[in-house]
Amino acid sequence: MATDKSTQRVHLQSNEGMVIEVDRVVAERSMLIKNLIEDLGDEAIENQAIPIPNVNDPVLRKVVEWCEHHRNDAQTTADDDNDNRKKTTDIDEWDQKFMQVDQEMLFEIILAANYLDIKALLDVGCKTVANMIKGKSPEEIRKTFNITNDFTPEEEEQIRRENEWAEDR
Amino acid sequence: LAELLDLCTSAQLSFVHQFVSPLLKKDPFTTLPDELCLRILSFIDDPKVLARASQVSRRWRDLLSDDMTWKNLCVKHDYQRSLSEVQPALDVPSESKPEASSQPGDASGSALLTSTSLPATFAASTASRPAPRSYKSHFKQRYLVDAAWRSGGRNVTRNITQDGGVVTSLHLTPKYIVVALDNAKIHVFDTEGNALRTLQGHVMGVWAMVPWDDILVSGGCDRDVRVWDLSTGACLHTLRGHTSTVRCLKMSDANTAISGSRDTTLRIWDIKAGVCKNVLVGHQASVRCLEIKGDIVVSGSYDATAKVWSISEGRCLHTLQGHYSHIYAIAFDGQRVATGSLDTSVRIWNVHTGECQAILQGHTSLVGQLQMRGGTLVTGGSDGSVRVWSLERACAIHRLAAHDNSVTSLQFDDTRVVSGGSDGRVKIWDLKTGQLVRELVTQGEAVWRVAFEDEKCVAMALKNGRTVMEVWSFSPPQELL
Repeated sequence: MATDKSTQRVHLQSNEGMVIEVDRVVAERSMLIKNLIEDLGDEAIENQAIPIPNVNDPVLRKVVEWCEHHRNDAQTTADDDNDNRKKTTDIDEWDQKFMQVDQEMLFEIILAANYLDIKALLDVGCKTVANMIKGKSPEEIRKTFNITNDFTPEEEEQIRRENEWAEDR
Repeated sequence: LAELLDLCTSAQLSFVHQFVSPLLKKDPFTTLPDELCLRILSFIDDPKVLARASQVSRRWRDLLSDDMTWKNLCVKHDYQRSLSEVQPALDVPSESKPEASSQPGDASGSALLTSTSLPATFAASTASRPAPRSYKSHFKQRYLVDAAWRSGGRNVTRNITQDGGVVTSLHLTPKYIVVALDNAKIHVFDTEGNALRTLQGHVMGVWAMVPWDDILVSGGCDRDVRVWDLSTGACLHTLRGHTSTVRCLKMSDANTAISGSRDTTLRIWDIKAGVCKNVLVGHQASVRCLEIKGDIVVSGSYDATAKVWSISEGRCLHTLQGHYSHIYAIAFDGQRVATGSLDTSVRIWNVHTGECQAILQGHTSLVGQLQMRGGTLVTGGSDGSVRVWSLERACAIHRLAAHDNSVTSLQFDDTRVVSGGSDGRVKIWDLKTGQLVRELVTQGEAVWRVAFEDEKCVAMALKNGRTVMEVWSFSPPQELL
């Protein structure tokens, strides 16, 4: 029996055991899940939750929230992907709000998007981090991410000189 | 915990904030795997950001030395053109590529360069420094050169004559800068602009010349075609036959030069033996311009036609008819011929059938300058405008109000258009956007000729009544590399 894809529900289970029920199209924003469903067949997922072993509750909730919002976006093909990547780091307003989370969560979302193979979300996450790096001095970047400067003063001076060429002259 | 925080004063909260906020921060590049770190970096296309990021910590420095990031950046900045340098050195003996010398006066020979080959001129200008070892160093070099073109560079100015002789041609070769004047003299400089020698022998103005390695062929009002050895200054041959001024000259190989004359003929010369091999008769008026590709030479004439000739057979294959007035400029890429005319139009012709494929209109006066490269044609007119055309769509992409007066000279490559005008200005334009990038020379009375290669630009101008040469270098200073 062919199932109606548009109304079918899918259950996703986090590594902490929480189960979220979502529309199949929402879950299929993830190429990993999409391929999994195709491999397992429609019936297999009817009554059985799909385990997402690398993702905890809050992150899975965030990822599902993103997929819900972007459920109708056109799937990116390999070509689109290339085009998008050439573009600037512009992020639409909703995504910007969505990404206003602490850094731990941001990086977890990136890891989850990578694991679940959700290219668009991965790119939004990466762009968000890239934007946090832009326009900052090395010291400001260290402050932003609480990084310890582990260069010796000599090394620091040398690497500063090596990179001087890129500064506006 | 929330209740506890509720009890705090704002000073206490501020303390807690100072204490807590660093704990919420995390180094993405130690948290995420390399692959994702590099993906993040791929969204940064400003080298300044990358350079600063590499100074954050050892981990960041190591990540940023990953060459893929810089390779991506090369692609984004359109620096692929000379990526061949980064791969095992592409061996292009300069002997086989003399077309690379710039000929901005007429449709340039640099149009012959394919996008994958390394121009000999570029090889020459960078020969003095080691080949870049990585995409990062390649990017750095190209970026510094680009930055210098935009707002840097060093220049030297040299007086060529004490009076205002007209510069009729200017050529840059891997070894020389060669300048011909209407006072019968040809000046030879090294690539830095230091005078090497003056070739004397022509009696009146020199109107055309073409270099080929150490050989130079020249012609002018005295009707003679002369063959010179640039390395010694010796005149090897004086070739006689034309009965009026020689107006244009090109070479098809190391042995063969073709001249066009006001006597309406073209002559094919064996410059080794010093003999005329053939006379191409057919034009009804002065032959003003010519271009060679393989066995085909195309010529443009004041009789309003262009002709396609077979060099080996010495006969006319097609007559390109359609212009209403003198043809002043011609370009030829082996398939298409472009002609610029006093009738203000530019025509594109199929060289194989002789058919006119397109008429490009827009100039309001004589079109005296044109260069074709890939699918792009750039034209300059006595109306002072420079137009960039798409040959595929047969329409103008950019219309640049370039000069107050005539465009006397222009040249373009993948990145930029350089134009010189009788208003005394040299302007650099972004080929893609059509934006003015900068004005190069301090303004004189007139610019006779400009020519450029990847890291150098030479302009011949009239300043304070004197003919001067400005040589601009955009090579990065050695200490930066």
